[in-house]
Amino acid sequence: MCFKNLPVKFDEQGNATLIGGIADPYKYERKDISREQLKRLMERNGYIRSLDFDPVTRVAGALAFHSTVDLKERKVLEAVSMATLFRGYEVILKGRDPRDAIFISSRACGVCGGVHSTCSALAIEMAFGICPPPLAIVIRNLALSMEFVWDNMMHLFLLAGPDYSESALKKTEPGLWDRALKTETQYGMLHGYTKMSDIFHDMNPLTGKLYLEGLEMTRVAREGYVTLMGKYPHPETIVPGGVSHNVTVQSFNVYLNRLMKTFDFAKKTIGIWDDITAFFYEANPEYKKVGTRPLNFADTGIWDDPDSYDATYANCNDWGEQRWATPGVIIGGKQVTTKLQQINLGIEEFIEHSYYEPWSGHPHKTDPLGAPLSPYHPWNKETKPKPENLNWREKYSWSTAPRWDREAVETGVFVRMWNTILAKKLPHRRFLDLTENSMLIRVPKYADEEMEFEWKIPDVWNAFERNRGRAYAISYQCVVAYDNWLKGMDLLKKGASRTSTPFTVPQNNRMSVGFWGAGRGWLTHHLEIDKGAIVNYQIITPSTLMASPKDPWGNPGPYEEAVLNTPILEEFDKPEDYKGIDILRAIRSFDPCMPCTTHIYAGDKTICQEVNTCACGVED
Amino acid sequence: MAATPQNVLDGQEKPQTRPRRILIGGVGYRNLRDMSLGPLLSDRLQKLTWPEGVEIEDLSYGPIGIMHNLDDRPPYQRLILVAGVKRDREAGRVYSYRWNHQLPDPEEIQARVSEAVTGVISLDNLLIIGSYFKKLPHDVSIIEVEAIDDNWGEELTPAVEQLLPDVIEEIHTKIREPEWM
Repeated sequence: MCFKNLPVKFDEQGNATLIGGIADPYKYERKDISREQLKRLMERNGYIRSLDFDPVTRVAGALAFHSTVDLKERKVLEAVSMATLFRGYEVILKGRDPRDAIFISSRACGVCGGVHSTCSALAIEMAFGICPPPLAIVIRNLALSMEFVWDNMMHLFLLAGPDYSESALKKTEPGLWDRALKTETQYGMLHGYTKMSDIFHDMNPLTGKLYLEGLEMTRVAREGYVTLMGKYPHPETIVPGGVSHNVTVQSFNVYLNRLMKTFDFAKKTIGIWDDITAFFYEANPEYKKVGTRPLNFADTGIWDDPDSYDATYANCNDWGEQRWATPGVIIGGKQVTTKLQQINLGIEEFIEHSYYEPWSGHPHKTDPLGAPLSPYHPWNKETKPKPENLNWREKYSWSTAPRWDREAVETGVFVRMWNTILAKKLPHRRFLDLTENSMLIRVPKYADEEMEFEWKIPDVWNAFERNRGRAYAISYQCVVAYDNWLKGMDLLKKGASRTSTPFTVPQNNRMSVGFWGAGRGWLTHHLEIDKGAIVNYQIITPSTLMASPKDPWGNPGPYEEAVLNTPILEEFDKPEDYKGIDILRAIRSFDPCMPCTTHIYAGDKTICQEVNTCACGVED
Repeated sequence: MAATPQNVLDGQEKPQTRPRRILIGGVGYRNLRDMSLGPLLSDRLQKLTWPEGVEIEDLSYGPIGIMHNLDDRPPYQRLILVAGVKRDREAGRVYSYRWNHQLPDPEEIQARVSEAVTGVISLDNLLIIGSYFKKLPHDVSIIEVEAIDDNWGEELTPAVEQLLPDVIEEIHTKIREPEWM
């Protein structure tokens, strides 16, 4: 059974129906959040402190985090994640020509500047009934895998990396720094360092060698991207039915030149993060609890197989499972589905603690294949922003609370590997292989020899494993890119150089969904068109899933959950010296990317004023 | 702690016979009325005739990308940046000054880098990051217009639109100025 909480069952052929005998199958009872006990504790205990990170720095976009910590018991008592800015693309897109969606929705984020346009193109292709030629599918795969290489390097060395630097350790865990001075590395053959203190020194922001190397490598990866797509972020070359430009063997070779340069840094990155993880675990096993949360994951998979993808909803289960990253949902460590249709049916968005008004009605009771659809599903959702004062018990975030089968789920590049391993359906084994619980990644030779790495499904799940997983994912993305490059060259040799499919804009009512992924995991664009215009457009980003506030039942979102489970391990003498490094490591390990905000008018109300405000504030 | 200003041109002076290389760049987001003065003006400047050695570029693509691109080019002797800004001064006026390369503390610089790599485009970030990594010429002039309206929209306000000839004249003045020693 795919769902545990939703009132939907499947027959042996996989057809979904509502479970009978339930009067109002999707109805739920809201549970209110009580803060009374916390208030009483705060009044009588000097070690209970409120800690606000507003904004959380070194993340993309506007995220604020409020926490209450008991510094005597070294526990987090309350964690509240706030998306502080309104996105509003759903409102902007209403009534527009669907072809505009690619270019407008792309602006949802300045970091993931190519994923939204691609996801939007996928949604439009499904609605229009067109499929891109194989070479166009390959070009998208090449561009997006390079984008993720860039994105993950940026996170590991420029954003999260400084949390694991000499300068951070000296401020927050001087005992660890002393230990690092005496600790030998275990993976020196990959990165060349012999002492842990040397790694932490080179992770120092602005001056560290690894920081600067990471910064330089982002350039290489971006050059690879723009070689094929012309521009980053917000490429103008992604269109419904493919890409708007032709590619040549020459542009493919320029791309390869950049890709190969990332191979060796990818190998080194694995060594660095294996060593950092091992060092913290050995220093204090309690670090394994930093950022831990239940093994509930969801991902839509990514990188379409040019021979299988047909852009239809009817066949999405089949072409989804042919991807280089298998779609899937994992609940409690067990994979419950790899079918894109089921993944789609299971998603709902709730707004009890978000600055939105509820929407009424249930216009689409089924999906295009007749399967039951929740009134809270994005296809049925209406975005009705309603700014109001912050209230911890009521409304406190611009993020909705997406839930899959009414569970809070995490997503990320490591979830792609995790799902692919558990599913055992990966058809692309030129550089990848699977064991019972691991993925084998053969990274080709560049200056360094070819190396095989094994990412094992971790025994524990926490902030360190997220970062380590991301380090392995860079290699995964590199070899997916190389595999696609070889496929692309084959297509070019065969003369299959067509990169787009002609189309007309349909005038009847159609529903569709783009299943894609960002550098941080799950990405869906849900679309409804009628009379040649957009009726409804809904975007669920990875950070909407993970930065979500509490749901109607009072269950926290993934960031909140991870921080609540985080022990306070920081070294400090007086409560006022406490800086919150464990909480920040937990939050940043998700690689938060809060969608950029924009000017938006809702009737006579201006919702917000600045195009971006992720200015610096609290620093660790 | 403020860092010491750096002059990346030390020892790299071009022979007198060659024209000075000057880059004029607009910085800002589009579709933000007066705050979009930088990119809007760079579009217009492209259509004008400029002395040899003067290049016009829309520098609204993020400090890290700009830094990488400057790395690949022969050094400029002068950089002139133009932007619409909001700094709580009298709105609808032109403000012109030279960048003194004074940097904030390292944590602030790191925060600016974090913003830049995650997509934020800002004149201040370009100046701070470019100076920190020693990618800007020593001679950097800035021409700002204090925005009257920073709501969304493709057009400048009429008052700021009327300032454009002054801004262009100020750019010409900056081009003609002797080198800043």
